[in-house]
Amino acid sequence: MGKGKRSSTIVISSSDDDEVKDKTSVRLSKSAPPRKNPKRAKKLTVSSSYSSPFQNSSAIDFDEWRQSAVATGAVGSLTGQWEHEVAVKFLHDDIVNQICEEFDQGFPQFKVTSDSSGNKDMWVEKYTPSCLGDVAVHKKKVEEVKSWFEEKLKSNADNSFSNVILISGQAGVGKSATIYAVACHLGMEVYEWRTPTPTIWQEHVHNSNSGIQYMSKLDEFESFVERIRKYGLVSASLTRVSPASVVLLIDDLPMVNGKVSYGRLQRCLYLLLQSVRLPTAILINDYGRSESAEQHSRYWEELQSSLQNAGAYKVTFNPITANSIKRALTRICRLERLKVNDEYIDFIAKSSEGDIRSAITSLQYFSLKPHPLDTLSVLNSVSTYPEEKQTETNRLDDRVLLPFGKDATLSLFHALGKFLHNKRETGSTVPSDTDVILLKEKFSRCPIKMDDPELVLCQAHGQARLVTDFLHENVLDFVNEEAIEDAWVVGAYLSDTDLLLTPSSKTWEAENVLQSAAASVAVRGVLFGNTSPLSSRWHAIRRPVLWQIDQSLKHNKNQILSRRLDDTTSASLYSHSTLATEFNPALKWLGHRVAADHQAPDEVSFDEDDCDGMSVDDEVDDDEIEEW
Amino acid sequence: MLWVDKYRPKTLDKVLVHEDIAQNLKKLVTEQDCPHLLFYGPSGSGKKTLIMALLRQIFGPGADKVKVENKAWRVDAGSRAIDVELTTVSSTHHVELNPSDAGFQDRYVVQEIIKEMAKNRPIDVKGRKGFKVLVLNEVDKLSREAQHSLRRTMEKYSASCRLILCCNSSSKVSEAIRSRCLNMRINAPTEGEIMKVLEFIGKKESLQLPPGFADRIAHQSNRSLRRAILLFETCRVQQYPFTSNQAIPPMDWEEYVSEIASSIFKEQSPKRLFEVRGKLYELLVNCIPPEIILKRLLYELLKKLDSELKHEISHWAAYYEHRLRLGQKAIFHLEAFVAKFMSIYKGFLIETFG
Repeated sequence: MGKGKRSSTIVISSSDDDEVKDKTSVRLSKSAPPRKNPKRAKKLTVSSSYSSPFQNSSAIDFDEWRQSAVATGAVGSLTGQWEHEVAVKFLHDDIVNQICEEFDQGFPQFKVTSDSSGNKDMWVEKYTPSCLGDVAVHKKKVEEVKSWFEEKLKSNADNSFSNVILISGQAGVGKSATIYAVACHLGMEVYEWRTPTPTIWQEHVHNSNSGIQYMSKLDEFESFVERIRKYGLVSASLTRVSPASVVLLIDDLPMVNGKVSYGRLQRCLYLLLQSVRLPTAILINDYGRSESAEQHSRYWEELQSSLQNAGAYKVTFNPITANSIKRALTRICRLERLKVNDEYIDFIAKSSEGDIRSAITSLQYFSLKPHPLDTLSVLNSVSTYPEEKQTETNRLDDRVLLPFGKDATLSLFHALGKFLHNKRETGSTVPSDTDVILLKEKFSRCPIKMDDPELVLCQAHGQARLVTDFLHENVLDFVNEEAIEDAWVVGAYLSDTDLLLTPSSKTWEAENVLQSAAASVAVRGVLFGNTSPLSSRWHAIRRPVLWQIDQSLKHNKNQILSRRLDDTTSASLYSHSTLATEFNPALKWLGHRVAADHQAPDEVSFDEDDCDGMSVDDEVDDDEIEEW
Repeated sequence: MLWVDKYRPKTLDKVLVHEDIAQNLKKLVTEQDCPHLLFYGPSGSGKKTLIMALLRQIFGPGADKVKVENKAWRVDAGSRAIDVELTTVSSTHHVELNPSDAGFQDRYVVQEIIKEMAKNRPIDVKGRKGFKVLVLNEVDKLSREAQHSLRRTMEKYSASCRLILCCNSSSKVSEAIRSRCLNMRINAPTEGEIMKVLEFIGKKESLQLPPGFADRIAHQSNRSLRRAILLFETCRVQQYPFTSNQAIPPMDWEEYVSEIASSIFKEQSPKRLFEVRGKLYELLVNCIPPEIILKRLLYELLKKLDSELKHEISHWAAYYEHRLRLGQKAIFHLEAFVAKFMSIYKGFLIETFG
């Protein structure tokens, strides 16, 4: 008994799998159906609970076990490691099974005894959904994934269709949880590619001294894919199971920077897609893709679409609705026997913005508070405040006050929607304060229904140029058909903004101030100028055409200039404007070759869909849409 | 070879327009050392031609042997190095370039190139001109910083090189530079002069010009000799022998601008403004400079406008032309101008017709 445990600890710390230990150091952590099912429980989600000072009330098994661990002298150092170790790596089946059984014996009891002392367990791990019903993801999506896997199981591995499913979604929407739950439901086992831990410098120095070559994470991933393609999953633990009932899960694609390594990753995934025999799930995180005009997110989108084109099946997970999160939180509270105010749960659910992981952690953090009474009082003050003023904006402020939960960030599109729709209080326009300067009729506006525009901007992390371009592109859609005067006022303010944004070398220090001033001018200009916004309910927000224009302009200019270089007949340099305005039209008439490539070339491809998909609902504040 | 290049006079003696200026220039360089020169005048008036002829006058036929190349400079600007690439036309005696092509890095170009030229000063074998000439085009498009650094480098290296600056409007060149140069205003040729040139080319090409045809081309050319010759050649390609009432093809972008103008007159609404924006984009993307678009648009708008409004509209055009120059993204200002026009015009319509 003691020996078995001893070896298990070794496994945890050094991942002693023969197959895995060699130079690639790929770790296939095998995990599967959660602990409720003792027969199949192979994923040992060892979390900090085991290192917690066990209470006398906890299961005898554990107590005994711990003592044996102490006897081996391992507890001090190992417990520390366990805290960070999430999944247990595998050794040999027999040992593993042995441990499993021990754990399984201990576990139910442990779970039952989870009173306040059990709090040290990470709830996110503890309440990983074990069956399909528990997954907070929308049913349709889960069903979609499930039926895909079922189909794969039925048709077996030898068909020509791709065996890859691509799941994308924000962080914490339950991508991996869904895979695990579905796999459990179908009786499949999950093999997960875990990104190897980053090499720290000392380690690197040590390695290079001992002659081990450094491999980048991408290298490792490549060789992993290579092995999967060649040999499938050859692992000691695989002997019993038929290959069809195994799911390969690639959760964490290696981070890539730059075109070259991105190309490598893409090629690598493509190969995987072509040749993999096992049903494979690739999970992709969309990091706030709405906001990024940057290269990086474009890479990912390209990657996704190229995989899709190659036959991967794509499922997109939306953020989890507040109601689902609420349900999950309530369930946890029930299991933890924790009395938490409904309103409070509601609150956490809302502020988590569809990230269930963060919601659960928030809940746990909240219940950790030393004196429940205190928290109640905090809670009261929090919960009564919104009742006094039911406006949404005040709730927003409250969120910021709370010590946990996500920062209330707005997506850029959300903020743009607010500015463009320009909702204002109706009714009494005259402010009650007497010391407000009375404005002329044409300058006075109803108070706006939002925070200060600057605050909204700040929450949306909008950069001035970006915001201005978007506003410029879209504002005309929101101006009343009759109100050309308004259009001019808005246009004039945007023109001012452009002046402010023009970098001048003299004012490096003032750059920041200028930026925010410009953003403020743009936003307030749009709000002020648009006196009678259209009351349309739905508008898609377009990506600025301006960017594309700028790019093709640059391209065309270069082309014109380079043509000048070819054309050595003319002895002097014409400026590109002369070339464009006088020579090109004439040359076109003359049927010169120039005519052909004068058309604005559209080499710069834009993913139209990534802006079309983003639309701003009129009711941006209520995103309580249960059904997608 | 286009006629514009083919019939460009090679020497100062052969020029057909601005003969007086040519003679003065000739006197200037034969008698004494050449000062810095600033040629300014509307496009198509013959500035370049005069400059080329002048270079030939100074250096002899050697100035004709030019090579066009893309040159890259690595400029050390404090903490970082900046790479600039520009097209240059150069002979052993002169270098010609458009520093404004470098965009906002223009000042480095100006500094660096002049420095470089000053370093490898040509060895004066026959006791002749011991300097090189640097021809800078589009000086008016240089940023203020670049003009400033141009001024200082001009002073510093004036012993080893002469500058010939060339631009459309001297008002956009800083006072300091203007006062250091001999300013030469090159007027747009008169229609009579243009006709003379066209007839000269017609004779050389042995073409039959029907009476009044050259007249019409000259009229449509807007007093730009270059455009007149281009139009002439276009007509030759389209139809020969000429007939006196032959249609003269307009510039495509100008037509487009007049289309924009008429669509502005038809309707004044945000929706129309949005359509106009799309058309402006189209022009911009084809490298038509925004200033020229604005100018042309104003011209087209003024054509049909009530004289009561002309003053106000011109004022706003000037206002936004200025902003265009200060700002970064032309479309913002062009669009604001169009919106302003629409707003004024609509108000006017309502006032007059109710």
